[in-house]
Amino acid sequence: MTAVVELRDVAYAYPDGTAALVHATCTIGAGERVALLGPTGAGKSTLLQLLNGLLRPTTGSVTICGLPVDDATVAEVRRRVGLVFQDPDDQLFLPTLLEDVAFGPLNAGATREDAAARAHAVLDALGLARAHDRAAHHLSGGERRLAALATVLVSEPDLLVLDEPSGDLDARSRRRLRDILQERREAVLVATHDLDLVRGVCHRALVLVGGTLVYDGPLETLLGDRDQLERFGLAA
Amino acid sequence: MSFHHLDQFAHTASPVTRMPPAGRIVGTVGLALVAATLPAGAWLPLGVLVALSCTLFALARVPPDVALVRLAWPLGVVLIASATLLVMVPGPALVRLGPLTVTAPGADRFATVMARAMVALLPAVLLVSTTSFPELLHGLRALRVPGAVATALGLAYRFLYLTLDELERLQRAARSRNAGHGAARRRHLLVAVTAATLGRSLARGERTHDAMLARGFAGTLPLLHVSPWTPQAAIELAMLLTVAAAVAVQARVG
Repeated sequence: MTAVVELRDVAYAYPDGTAALVHATCTIGAGERVALLGPTGAGKSTLLQLLNGLLRPTTGSVTICGLPVDDATVAEVRRRVGLVFQDPDDQLFLPTLLEDVAFGPLNAGATREDAAARAHAVLDALGLARAHDRAAHHLSGGERRLAALATVLVSEPDLLVLDEPSGDLDARSRRRLRDILQERREAVLVATHDLDLVRGVCHRALVLVGGTLVYDGPLETLLGDRDQLERFGLAA
Repeated sequence: MSFHHLDQFAHTASPVTRMPPAGRIVGTVGLALVAATLPAGAWLPLGVLVALSCTLFALARVPPDVALVRLAWPLGVVLIASATLLVMVPGPALVRLGPLTVTAPGADRFATVMARAMVALLPAVLLVSTTSFPELLHGLRALRVPGAVATALGLAYRFLYLTLDELERLQRAARSRNAGHGAARRRHLLVAVTAATLGRSLARGERTHDAMLARGFAGTLPLLHVSPWTPQAAIELAMLLTVAAAVAVQARVG
């Protein structure tokens, strides 16, 4: 299986010296759907930002689709890694939804016509076609989540990375999100506390506790082991 | 979100909304410039411009009461700013109000300023009532307003709503804990809530910048839209500007 993500002995410490990630090593293959679990403050968001080149490891290396993440490759890395942020309002910053969705392709050098066509196609696929000329504050919470997803799907990434995607979704919107993620063909990494969401989407789980990767294995095995869930702080 | 939307007639089909946003902006600026440069006491041209604006309001199907309410606020500011003209311009006394004397030339200047302001503000009110903010931005870009300015306006528009939302949430949370009873406490609450909103806005700014970088932002915001100009729109705008120019010329010659 081709590796989309390779982390080798990755550590990251914030400028104040706080260690957010400690010696993390793992690989994610093409098309794999992986849940990234862990209690609040475990380092999940830090790991996601390392994958997109927003943060650089203090030690160790991050490789995306064979490209080591550095200044020379970061533009291509960001095209290949679609990162959906925790708060959709951070991700939707332009006056209309269409402009927001077209932002990635335009940055990648697409023509206006091509970017608009791709944006329309993605919005259509996600059921947001009618909202293309609306501002994000005119959308419901569920629509905003989908819109944030659309802003990265339009670039056809090799790895889709989602940070707490089901945060404030109602049951119907959560089901819709799960259906969408199940249909994706690219690799998917979902950082979440929502075990119900990943149960229907992911086959593998990574668990971070205190910045350390403490579990890398089948999701079902983890979810079936109450003691382990308790120990990792994941049990409800 | 309880923020009231100004552009509630942007989706009403009319000759005004059919015109490209750039044309609406040019028309508005043109009428405002003509109104602002009319000589003092040019009542007939001012009346013609008011009639022209009222026709445009009717074409755009904006009700008169809506127009008047929206006109009242900015006109109120002009009224306060120009009220001193009544007593500051020297000339024969018209009315004595205690220690103040309203002069005839002062009253004439004051009335002219108010009339000019009203004529200049009417098309502006029409513009914001019939044009959504994204359309306004497209119009500004089509008029070659520097990209950085249009972009900053666009981001400000988007974050204005988020900031107002944030402010509302914080105020509600504070009130739910019985904060803000009494004038002094209300002031204190306002300062605290404003400071918290500012802090959160700065943090949001950083997160948004990260989100932009994550989608390949490299310092220049690419534009998706370029507003198309049709011959019909160009002719309509030319006619509007011609009428405005004719009024300006007539006011000076006649």
